[in-house]
Amino acid sequence: MERSDTPLLDELEKGQWPSFVKDMKEAARKNPMAKDLLKQLELSYKDKIGHWKHGGIVGVKGYGSGVIGRYSDRPDLFPHVQAFHTMRVNHPSGWFYKTETLRKLCDIWDKHGSGLTNMHGSTGDAILLGTTTEHLQPCFNDLSDAGFDLGGSGSALRTPSACVGPARCEWACVDSLDLCYHLTMAYQDQMHRPMFPYKFKIKISACANDCVAAIARSDLSIIGTWKDAIRINADEVRAYAENINIQKEVCDLCPTRCMEWDGNKLKIYDEDCTRCMHCINVMPKALRPGKETGASILVGGKAPIVKGALLSWVVVPFMKLEPPYDELKDLIERIQDWWDEFGKSRERLGELIQRLGMRVFLKAVGLPAVPQMVKAPRTNPYVFFWPEDLKKEEK
Amino acid sequence: MSDDLKVKVTELFREKSKGDKKMFYIRDVTKWLPGEDRHAIQNVVKELLDEEVLKYWSSGSSTYIMLADFFPKE
Repeated sequence: MERSDTPLLDELEKGQWPSFVKDMKEAARKNPMAKDLLKQLELSYKDKIGHWKHGGIVGVKGYGSGVIGRYSDRPDLFPHVQAFHTMRVNHPSGWFYKTETLRKLCDIWDKHGSGLTNMHGSTGDAILLGTTTEHLQPCFNDLSDAGFDLGGSGSALRTPSACVGPARCEWACVDSLDLCYHLTMAYQDQMHRPMFPYKFKIKISACANDCVAAIARSDLSIIGTWKDAIRINADEVRAYAENINIQKEVCDLCPTRCMEWDGNKLKIYDEDCTRCMHCINVMPKALRPGKETGASILVGGKAPIVKGALLSWVVVPFMKLEPPYDELKDLIERIQDWWDEFGKSRERLGELIQRLGMRVFLKAVGLPAVPQMVKAPRTNPYVFFWPEDLKKEEK
Repeated sequence: MSDDLKVKVTELFREKSKGDKKMFYIRDVTKWLPGEDRHAIQNVVKELLDEEVLKYWSSGSSTYIMLADFFPKE
């Protein structure tokens, strides 16, 4: 029996799940880059170390982001992955493609790269894995001709991303797709020409279910919500009561206990509701978001690279969001300008706010302190008096 | 004014690159010129990048700026 070149990777082909090794092997049959990638990965498993050198080349003519340089530290063994750069392609809002568009993208990548992709990376972009330095500009030219552009990388605004919103979801409180498109078009320079202290991410979820996990993954999270009362269909509530225990599964799990169920009628005290959407998720036919819709704006979310992970927190409880979104853009620019001025290199917005304080942040961007900013009961780290206000009080 | 600033920024890059450190954050550049407007410095750096006097270097997550002469050849 012939011995495999990749015995360790072969283990990852076993089982019922789709295997990346199978796809890489298939790509390796026609592409020498994919073949060397496979062999280098096998060596990485054997040595228990990644064999990549990172950094360097950053883009194509006029761009400072969108390409992530990667080089093998064993070009002697794997010459076809000596340079194996990643290209980030700006995804369309909500990740809607025609099959024809995807074919075009794949044809371009088969021509210029390894044929391997991540659809999609955690930034949202379509990630094209592995090309050489010589192919970067011709690949970009072909992508441009096909209507694509590169996304953000490095110390830049990263490609904004959004949930499928009103295109596929009845709970959308804002048009996340339109907003994502507007912001992407408005901030082309911030995306392609890195000038920030570090990365800055904007993610948009059209409702509080937060399908793109904006609250955990973005410096500026825009999350759809509503202002008025939850719409109740009383007949449908009673129909649900035949199959579920409304008291136990809805009222008792409401985080603010703002609901009452008497066995026949559901009463919601909307002034106490935090719009978490738990009740709506349990009884989607009976309950709907209100009609006065907009979004909450939150800041400071990030994953744990330099400092610990942070969830975004509310700075604007409700903002009506309609094109051309001037109020939002104005706020984004004030926030970015403050961070750009005071942020240390590699310091995210949330970390800067932690270092200087929410009070300073709010004053700098001209936002009033409001109760919705309080993160947890009995702790109020954000709303303090300024020394000059205390002096005024004394007089 | 922009041309003067451009010369200043280029000279500072040359001076600061005399040691082992060749790559700088944009934040370093604005700190070198505390009296100048931060946005004006950023615009000048963009112009120098367009003229290929300076080059971006990126790890993928953060971006540095350096003199094109020192850009590593892989």
